[in-house]
Amino acid sequence: MSHSSTRDAVSTRDAVPILHATGLAKQVVSGERRLTILSGLDLQVFPGESVAIVGQSGVGKSTLLGLLAGLDQPTHGELELFGQALGALDEDGRARLRAGRVGFVFQNFQLLPTLTALENVLLPLELSPLSDTATRARDWLTRVGLAERLEHLPKQLSGGEQQRVALARAFVTGPELVFADEPTGNLDQATGARIIDLLFQLNREAGTTLVLVTHDHALARRCDRCLRLEEGRLVETSRDEVGA
Amino acid sequence: MSEAISQPSTAGSARRVLRLSARGLLRDLRASDVRALFFALALAVAASTMIGFFLDRLDRGLTRQAGQLLGGDLVLEQSRPFDGELRRTLEEAGLSLSDQVGMVTMVSHEEAFQPASLKAVDDRYPLYGNVHVDLGEGPETVARGPAPGEAWLAPRLALLLDAGVGDRLQVGDTALTVAGLVEREPDQSGGFGNFNPRLMIHADDLVASNLVQAGSRVSHTLLGAGEAGALDALAPRLRQLARDGVEVRDVRRDRPQLGNALERAERYLSLAGLAAVLLAGVAVAMATRRYVERHLDTAALLRCFGATQRELTRLFALQLLWLALVASALGALLGLIGQAVLLRLLMTFLPMELPPPGMLPLLLGVLTALAVLVGFAGPTLLRLKRVSALKVLRRELDPLPASAWLVVLVASLVFGGLLWLYSGDLALAAALLVGGLVMLVVLWGLGLLLLALVLRLASRLPHGSGNGAELSQAVRLGGRQLARRRSASLGQLLAFAVTFFAMAMIALVRGDLLTTWEAQLPEDTPNYFAINIQPGERDAFVETLEEAADDRTALYPMVRGRISAINDQTPGEAVPVEARGDGSLRRELNLTWQENLPEGNRLVAGEWFDELANDDAASGWLGAVDAEPGEVMVPISVEDGLAERLGLGLGDRITFTIGGEAIIGEIASLRNLDWDSFRPNFFVIFPPDVLERFGHSYITAFHLDGGQTETLRRLVQAFPGVSLLNVDAILAQVREVLTQVTRAVELVLAFVLLAGVSVLYAALTASRPMRAHESGLLRVFGAGNRLISRVQGAEFAILGLASGLMGALLAELATAGIYMAWFDLAPRLHLWLWVVLPLGGALLIGAIGHALSRSLRRQAPAASLGLLGEA
Repeated sequence: MSHSSTRDAVSTRDAVPILHATGLAKQVVSGERRLTILSGLDLQVFPGESVAIVGQSGVGKSTLLGLLAGLDQPTHGELELFGQALGALDEDGRARLRAGRVGFVFQNFQLLPTLTALENVLLPLELSPLSDTATRARDWLTRVGLAERLEHLPKQLSGGEQQRVALARAFVTGPELVFADEPTGNLDQATGARIIDLLFQLNREAGTTLVLVTHDHALARRCDRCLRLEEGRLVETSRDEVGA
Repeated sequence: MSEAISQPSTAGSARRVLRLSARGLLRDLRASDVRALFFALALAVAASTMIGFFLDRLDRGLTRQAGQLLGGDLVLEQSRPFDGELRRTLEEAGLSLSDQVGMVTMVSHEEAFQPASLKAVDDRYPLYGNVHVDLGEGPETVARGPAPGEAWLAPRLALLLDAGVGDRLQVGDTALTVAGLVEREPDQSGGFGNFNPRLMIHADDLVASNLVQAGSRVSHTLLGAGEAGALDALAPRLRQLARDGVEVRDVRRDRPQLGNALERAERYLSLAGLAAVLLAGVAVAMATRRYVERHLDTAALLRCFGATQRELTRLFALQLLWLALVASALGALLGLIGQAVLLRLLMTFLPMELPPPGMLPLLLGVLTALAVLVGFAGPTLLRLKRVSALKVLRRELDPLPASAWLVVLVASLVFGGLLWLYSGDLALAAALLVGGLVMLVVLWGLGLLLLALVLRLASRLPHGSGNGAELSQAVRLGGRQLARRRSASLGQLLAFAVTFFAMAMIALVRGDLLTTWEAQLPEDTPNYFAINIQPGERDAFVETLEEAADDRTALYPMVRGRISAINDQTPGEAVPVEARGDGSLRRELNLTWQENLPEGNRLVAGEWFDELANDDAASGWLGAVDAEPGEVMVPISVEDGLAERLGLGLGDRITFTIGGEAIIGEIASLRNLDWDSFRPNFFVIFPPDVLERFGHSYITAFHLDGGQTETLRRLVQAFPGVSLLNVDAILAQVREVLTQVTRAVELVLAFVLLAGVSVLYAALTASRPMRAHESGLLRVFGAGNRLISRVQGAEFAILGLASGLMGALLAELATAGIYMAWFDLAPRLHLWLWVVLPLGGALLIGAIGHALSRSLRRQAPAASLGLLGEA
């Protein structure tokens, strides 16, 4: 399954990619116009690496992330996640594939307002066959520095604290792959920086593969690879070029 | 499926979903929509089980009471003794039996002789209830009849014979001691077939008296008491007895006369119960909408974390199932308490030993909750399953709401099923359902029109400054918000309209029932009947009465006649087999003549005599006065119930034997009359100038206050031959029943009102986030607290006003239909409804809505704006 040589892409490692996109395209119909957001996009992500996808706003970064995570279906192209072709799976199959193996961090945190911090972290655990869920959730909240805020509702937490809950939630199931969509987008610079530190620390400790979408250059530069989304395709950039 | 996908065991997954659903529900209890859902479901179960339990027990209680009034669960009557074979059959079926013999006989004390209505009873008398008797130490109730050697008399007979307790009476060949004065017998039914006062003796003394001779007119009665099942098992035998000319009365068919009012009350209770269930259903539907909207994010996240559609469906269905089960348990408990309260309200009237509540209403209650949940929440819930995981990235990606028509259709089908279940009448359920759906379409159109009108009016309101201008600004903004949010507003409009409609209807029907009952028995309802007034006494009697009585009915002449032929056949051949033992064929009937249709009678078929007299072709009967008997056909008017029993209609001929002569009457009209009216009522009425030549007496009914004993004494002394019957006790009993039933009806009304409030709460809770968003925006644009408060108040008030109007329309149409079809009352227009509902609606919705949004107004705009889509 290994595609060691690719056209646009990026990495030439010899390992089996955890995520492999070939000729990915996404068109949407808006009114009477057909809008092409992605076209002929290729990507390989290998276990353990961290990949940043950057680009101007509106260029389709979030759409790409949705496709890569199997939340949405491409118009054309093929996508393999954990060696499984997503196109061959229905919505439920894709959901099962994600269960326990994929973590998410969102720009708007996506914490459920009626659940406490602890309950929010418990949510993905409750779908997995793991035991000791409450202890696990408590441990992770402690790791992100929220040991004292377990029973607080999201509205009682600051933005940074909410995103820390979201980080704990993303890592609690021990995922192989974490997707992050503008994880600092709703935070001030200082808080954002602390969240980035935490994100990379957790990622390193857990040995997780990380795919993040951002326009935050500081964040992008800390990743192993940077890809710029331009005119529907990914272009490899050196980390130094990101800010340019 | 690839091995790469971790596929946990099905059992493990089911356990996880079960655990997750229970935990989710516990967390969810904080949310107002879940509370509204819980409240509504519990209420639906409480209302249906309360009424179910109550009606179930009442039904069994009423059967018992009918047994008391009849004297037994089964009463057989014929003119010869019953044979041993029949007795054995009845006893083997589980009935305990008691014999009675009735006849008219002369009784004497010293020089006084009086005809008396003799009743000889055995040791088992009475099978049900007690005899109210004065045994010399004041009135008391005893569960026995006179012992051998004793005679119990009606007080009037004692007065006429000038006899008291301890005196000796001569009855036929035997002498008996007066041992008691009978005030009331348990098996005394209302008829006045025999005007002679009561003489009750023991059966053994009847033999000794030698009164029963060949040819004497004696009625033998065999009474039986036992379980309803025994009667069912005997059904074929009872039909055979009726065919053989035995009069058969049984509790299942021959209900007490109070039945009319109670039957309406029972129907009212069922109707109110259904209204409460419908309202609870509407509340469930509204709360579910909010529940689903609130859980879209959860569902999307769970999709993201790997939950399948099936797991999601199971998860949320299970959550609601827990909710429904807990709500059912609580509702059933409330229902049990409620029925106990209902019974307590009705206790003095109901037989004391009611059977304990059965399981069936409980099962029905839980079934109702589940049905309401599936029907009113099901289609909306399916939306959660269809949520896309991508929604976590793109918030606007909500799945399409369930089609409003699908929601309504499924809810209607389920509610129709409940209607069927509760009424046991498929045609009625289908008619109500179709009618309801048609009304909903009409309401939908009307709602759209009203919203368009609101928008137009709002835009016409003047801009300007000053206090009035601020109010008009509030109304303009509020009205516009309401009308622009068309589909949401329409949903609320319909829900509130249905709520107001159901509340108004239950209140209206209650009011009209009470008015009807009160009108039926006004303060001056006749409490005395005077019977046996001779033609010579007639004027003097009326004169005496006119000075004293508050109200009296007309004087009705009475001639005794027996039906000897029907359509030239013997009555036994002419009538349906079940009617061969009918009392009307076995006894003499009281016939009267009247020029005009008596008060309280309603013509249901044919024409009254005056119409006929104007009609040349039919006026031949006027010559009947001079004609030979039997030569000319006389038009008669017959009570519709009797005609139905005997299978007779207009044009059928009945031959009456009166004093040895035969008169043929042709049925010219059928009358419906109210047997509960406490007025003289007649099965058969002749035109004037036909019966005058026969011996007749008069009957009348009048009202005397309790204090007018002097008048009473004067009447008794001046007209010793006239029998005066006091029906105060029966009248009081009927009034008491009506009062108690009224209280029961009010209790049920309270449940309906509560269900209505649950709809208001659910709907207002559901629309909270949207309103929060709007007021947040207004605040951002610089609106002050006062303006926002007024805008919200105006919006709710307009909503209440419009839904009140629609509810009034719906209530008028529905009550008219229900009155005609169900309660047998004439429909009437309720003008006040058109004022009270819209204004009350505006005030109620305005106040509740305004209060519920108070916390929104205290919020900073940022928080309000963020609130959309969250709790």
